[in-house]
Amino acid sequence: MFAPMPALERRLTDLLGAARVITARDALLAWECDGFTVHRALPRAVVLPESTAEVQAIVQLLHGENVPFVPRGAGTCLSGGPTPSVPAVVIELARMKRVLHVSPDDLLAVVQPGVVNLDLTLAVQHLGLHYAPDPSSQSVCTIGGNLAENSGGPHCFKYGMTTDHMLGAVVVLPDGSLARLGQNAGPRAPHALDLPGVFCGSEGTFGIATEIMVRLSRDQESVRTLLAAFATMTAACRTVGDIVAAGLVPAALEILDQATIRAVEASVYRAGYPEDAAAVLLVEIDGPRQVVDEEAAEIRGLFLARSPLRIEEASTPAERKRLWKGRKGAFGAMGRLNTDLYVLDGVVPRTRLVEALDRIHAIAERHGVLLTNVFHAGDGNLHPNISYDGRDAAQTARTVAAGREILQVCLDLGGSITGEHGIGSEKLDYMALMYDPTDLEVMARVRTAFNPSGLCNPGKVLPTRNACAEVAKWPKMVERVLDDHQRRGGDR
Amino acid sequence: MTQRPTSRAELQDLLRSRRHPRVRLLGSGSRPAMVRRVPSDATFVSLAAMDRIERLEPGDLTCSVQPGVLRHELDLELRRHGLELPCAGTGTIGGLFAADDIGPLAPGAPAPRNLLLGLEGVLADGTPFKSGARVVKSVAGFDVHKLFVGSQGRLFAATLLHLKLRPLPRASCAFGVRNLSLADALAKFAGLRQEPAGVHQVTLLRDAAGACMLAGRLGGRASHLAALRTRFSLAESADAGPLQLHAEAGHELITGIVCCSRLNGLLADLPAAAPFLMHGGGRFWTVLPTPQVAPLLSRMPTHDAHAVAVSAADSPGTALDPGAATLTTAIRHALDPRGVLA
Repeated sequence: MFAPMPALERRLTDLLGAARVITARDALLAWECDGFTVHRALPRAVVLPESTAEVQAIVQLLHGENVPFVPRGAGTCLSGGPTPSVPAVVIELARMKRVLHVSPDDLLAVVQPGVVNLDLTLAVQHLGLHYAPDPSSQSVCTIGGNLAENSGGPHCFKYGMTTDHMLGAVVVLPDGSLARLGQNAGPRAPHALDLPGVFCGSEGTFGIATEIMVRLSRDQESVRTLLAAFATMTAACRTVGDIVAAGLVPAALEILDQATIRAVEASVYRAGYPEDAAAVLLVEIDGPRQVVDEEAAEIRGLFLARSPLRIEEASTPAERKRLWKGRKGAFGAMGRLNTDLYVLDGVVPRTRLVEALDRIHAIAERHGVLLTNVFHAGDGNLHPNISYDGRDAAQTARTVAAGREILQVCLDLGGSITGEHGIGSEKLDYMALMYDPTDLEVMARVRTAFNPSGLCNPGKVLPTRNACAEVAKWPKMVERVLDDHQRRGGDR
Repeated sequence: MTQRPTSRAELQDLLRSRRHPRVRLLGSGSRPAMVRRVPSDATFVSLAAMDRIERLEPGDLTCSVQPGVLRHELDLELRRHGLELPCAGTGTIGGLFAADDIGPLAPGAPAPRNLLLGLEGVLADGTPFKSGARVVKSVAGFDVHKLFVGSQGRLFAATLLHLKLRPLPRASCAFGVRNLSLADALAKFAGLRQEPAGVHQVTLLRDAAGACMLAGRLGGRASHLAALRTRFSLAESADAGPLQLHAEAGHELITGIVCCSRLNGLLADLPAAAPFLMHGGGRFWTVLPTPQVAPLLSRMPTHDAHAVAVSAADSPGTALDPGAATLTTAIRHALDPRGVLA
């Protein structure tokens, strides 16, 4: 499987030089998975282009040789999107990290795909601007990866997802040709289709974006973060409903459960959250100073009506940073709980949060897995996290089985199997739980329009044609991944 | 004769029967985004009879509506719950999203593409499908529903649209400022575009005599609206809805998108007597004598702009990027290989 490919390697080296073509098995280990560590697979090679022309030359070569390829950003994806499903060449875009153009008047920037999300904000903050989508991994994840996954983050409730901030992209299509989707002035000309809209979130299966036009947002005059700790999760969730029902649109509405609070408080991400609380609700509001004052007073009133254990309010950047420290570090803190973490990403209607959480806890109890919850409450986007020991096959199997049942709960309540992490290889089989075969067939037709050869990131997003049969026999695919995982346990 | 299916199943039967080699889906949007010639063998299909609000979840800020629901009827229902669909457009909801003839009204303001969470649809061969979800956040699968926005019914029919809603602002008011010089109007327009909150709509209008005005709508807390009105010297006015230009005989209405920073160059390229209207979100309109249209469209790339003659039948508009044009053809062929949707 990992036999050398001297002819192809030689030709790739001719294009990029030896230093930017990686084929040594040990070196390739760095690219064997993303944040979804259940699925691991070594690429045939990794190439490191630095320009659109180089990406185009690579793709033309691979297309001509009928070799599959997988675009990759920082590898922070949590669903196996950039992990090859078949022997493939990984096209790593992290070296394409220049901010090419910023226009404050037009509130836009043009960036290469390897620009780190937070770095874009840092590059424009002196202009009073920022890039709004802020996934938890924003200090390392790339704009190209965000585009591929249609990434979200805590501030989606008010500001939307990546697709809402994307104006267009220059894309190397899977046959090596170039296409410019959208434009600086907007994602869709009056006589054109919304190609950026359908490209965003295609998980690297439609082509490789090498220049991305994004909308920047003007900084708000004032930002305030409020924290309320509650004795029950129900009270925290109901408070979120109260805030929405009051017609308020906070920038963020985040909840951490007690197990998460305790993990955070025992870690370097300690934020001073009360450990006796069943849930902590973080609310961030922004806007003109007077508006923020008025809204903060209103939200405090809504907190008090639900008898909180504690209320805190942070106005200065340092205070706000402290309150957010625990939330931003929550996933890192869970490293204390076990060796591995399976981060789920289901969505339910916000009004069904309490019911969903009750059912999720029952699932965790039945499977005997350690569950923590930290989630975007405003969007109903749950992140049930299962801490497990990946070296223990039985524990891993229970973890995956519980995860599948949790996503089924999300669907039963009218939600989605993923709010921001994508399908990748992780949820491939679950697609048929959410969509009918004809839905998947229509999606496949659109993919074929972009990627007729199927060489660009094959085996992702859409299950094979006999998906329904596969689902009927579930968990065959997951078992296969786990078997493979355990067979290669010595690599870990 | 116009076919009027009353359900998704009836529409499927109609399309599956293959009795209609060409079908023109009729939507009643704000106005036609472009005039398209009707093939002689076309059957008109109106979805106006599919006019139910199937689901409204105020607590989730979402609803699901059939395409024939009228915008003003949906607005009335939403207002009862303190909600709004925060984009411009009139007519039926299906027509509004299929036309998308205005786009965002201010930078950062929602456009139809930002509000369509998912849909149920029917392909030209009668195949039913769904895309997206009815919750405010989902990245499961490819966003085929995004292709519906602005497609003018040429890819598939939408039979149920899942929409994202927003609470009504606590306060709102329309404003209008007349008799501005072009320089003053542009400066104020740019300033309002840069406001991070409160400006829901801003429109610049230069009339044929060269007089300029600004109009728009503010929304948010009353205290902030008062501050904005003072800072920009905005007089409150009656809300006349989005301004529109119209073409007389021998003239064409042109619409396009342009970056604010390129606006001066575009205006300098237009005849002084050409009326010009632009929303803060980047969409513009102008009216030109017919012979001047093609030359202007050919010059649009020099302004980093794209435009099309709305009222000229089958206007090709500014040439699209060749790669994007190829993809557009491929998508049309993938979804409607027999070219039924005319």
